[in-house]
Amino acid sequence: MKLLVVEDDETTGSYIARGLREEGQTVDLVTSGRDALIQATSTTYDVMVVDRMLPEIDGITLVKTLRGAGNKTPVLFLTSLGSVEDRILGLNSGGDDYLVKPFAFGELSARVAALARRPQALEQETILSAGDLSMDLIAREVTRAGQKIDLLPREFALLEHLLRRKGRVQTRTMLLEAIWDISFDPMTNVVETHISRLRAKIDKPFDTELIRTIRGAGYRIDA
Amino acid sequence: MALLRSMPFRLAMGLVALFSVVSLISLAASYVVTQRSFDQAMRADLMQDMAGFRAAPTAAALAALVEAEARETDPARMVLSYSAPGLGHFGNAMIARDDDGYRIVSVTQGNAEIDGRFLSLTASLWGGQLTVARSRGEIDALRDVFLNILALSLVPTILIALSGGLYLARRSARQVRIIGKTLDQLTSGNLAARVGPTRGWSDDLARIGEKLDQMAEAQETSVAAIRQVSSDIAHDLKTPIQRVAVHLDDLLRQDDLPDRAVVLLEKATDQLDGVVSVFHSLLQIAQIETGSPRNQFRAVDLVELARTFCEIYEPSASDKGQHLVFIAPDAPSLRVWGDRNLLGQVLANLIENALRHTDAGARIEVGLRHHGQSICLWVADDGPGIPAVERDRVLRRLYRLDRSRTTPGNGLGLSLVASIAALHQTKAVLLDNGPGLRVEITFAEVQPDPASVPTASAPISAKIEDL
Repeated sequence: MKLLVVEDDETTGSYIARGLREEGQTVDLVTSGRDALIQATSTTYDVMVVDRMLPEIDGITLVKTLRGAGNKTPVLFLTSLGSVEDRILGLNSGGDDYLVKPFAFGELSARVAALARRPQALEQETILSAGDLSMDLIAREVTRAGQKIDLLPREFALLEHLLRRKGRVQTRTMLLEAIWDISFDPMTNVVETHISRLRAKIDKPFDTELIRTIRGAGYRIDA
Repeated sequence: MALLRSMPFRLAMGLVALFSVVSLISLAASYVVTQRSFDQAMRADLMQDMAGFRAAPTAAALAALVEAEARETDPARMVLSYSAPGLGHFGNAMIARDDDGYRIVSVTQGNAEIDGRFLSLTASLWGGQLTVARSRGEIDALRDVFLNILALSLVPTILIALSGGLYLARRSARQVRIIGKTLDQLTSGNLAARVGPTRGWSDDLARIGEKLDQMAEAQETSVAAIRQVSSDIAHDLKTPIQRVAVHLDDLLRQDDLPDRAVVLLEKATDQLDGVVSVFHSLLQIAQIETGSPRNQFRAVDLVELARTFCEIYEPSASDKGQHLVFIAPDAPSLRVWGDRNLLGQVLANLIENALRHTDAGARIEVGLRHHGQSICLWVADDGPGIPAVERDRVLRRLYRLDRSRTTPGNGLGLSLVASIAALHQTKAVLLDNGPGLRVEITFAEVQPDPASVPTASAPISAKIEDL
């Protein structure tokens, strides 16, 4: 993947670039909106990570300009504010996702990966599987190693979400947004408790663990 | 009807009333004066008539004079009657007296009785009695003339004043409505709302509108300046916090760290998370208090929201041996006007608060009650509760009960609840659950009628859909 990071704070910018490079991505780092505009119009990127507040041309104007010129590269906004209004302004101006500072690198990396995979949307699969687990979306049945497993509706939704994104990390906040439509982070680790309920049903009684915890990031079912 | 109570209409009505009273008084006065002078003229005429008859030298001459005059006089206008013993009756009418008063019977017109009021003068002349009476019909007719003048002058005036008043009232009602709407919008956080230029001539209301726009302009500018400052502060503080997080994370990623260092680093990271959460909550409260999130309000189903949050926290509660129960109302959905995320934050904070301050075995209820036009959302626990004197204080920022200093939480949870409630034009009320704490928030229900719902911009989904 080829990524453009636009961040005026050098410490944060180089940290993001370094982390993403360690994951094997190609990263271009620029520190101003003007440079970003030149870079984004001359090179094709898979995802852009853009700080809202930039010298010269701010992030919102940058993305609006790019969208106006027909550039459709997914944009992840980084912001210091994180108010509802701010968030909606960011998403209205052409941003695709939003991350409030300070963030954990795992969160950023998972969201960048999610944005990069966006285009191939409508997969009409009716049976999802991982290892010896299979999930029938029509009969709403889950079996593992031939054993039928009863799941509550939200547990089913959680498992379906992870299975559809096999091989990609899903962070706690991404799961909260997708399963419960909540875009704030509760103080109690509610996602952990739901994951452990799900694990107790689909992982505990069996030898291998399907849902893996990725430290500092979230959860993943391996492809 | 509001129109009838409006200022221009009232003024018009007041003027109409004043004008009517003045007209009535002046017409009545001229009527009285005119009538009096008519009366005097009539008396003088009668005296003169009588004087003429007195000049007759004999009874026979008088009788002849009366007869001659009577022949040319209509008894309805003037009655002449002379009766003398031995000579008989002369004149155009006879005057008789019975129980009802005087009766005048016409002699010339076949004994017809004549109605109407007469002014009469009687004198004894030549042994007989002469009565001369003039009809007061003309004076009586004067009253009708004056009533007609009154009607002709007052009715059009009243009609014109009424319609003029109504027109002005409607015109000003429209302006008052525009100004009221603008003020409502300004109050609810839409600082870009303006009255705008008024059509037609400039009146007091238009000037008030202009002044209001100037005030809103100034307010918007200063709020924008304050926001700029706070977002600058947010940015300037969050950047170093982000850097610290980056350095800590870099350190944690190093392979050859001694265990003690890892423990310390993790503690530092936790502390930093705490700083971030306080900082974030303070910024959020500040932002909510500007009222601006109201621009994003739309109808939110509290039943769905409360059910979702009970479901989210249920495993956390049962892991601690607590019972989190949702008491569903009769209605399948109860909608209020608000921000789903912020209302969710209220539920999350109240439930987390209850979970944090109660022990294993505690029962935590989240419920909705519907009565009339209002919906009461409540979260109750059977834990230690909050002493009555402390209940107002816990809604303040960073205030914590002494016994809570050791439990997690940043002291902003309940104040965030209070400010979100205020944003939704309601109040979080803390009550004794005997034992435990009960927090109630009462909202106005959104009526199904779409006209009663303010229009909102199209919903924006921030969900990630990376299928």
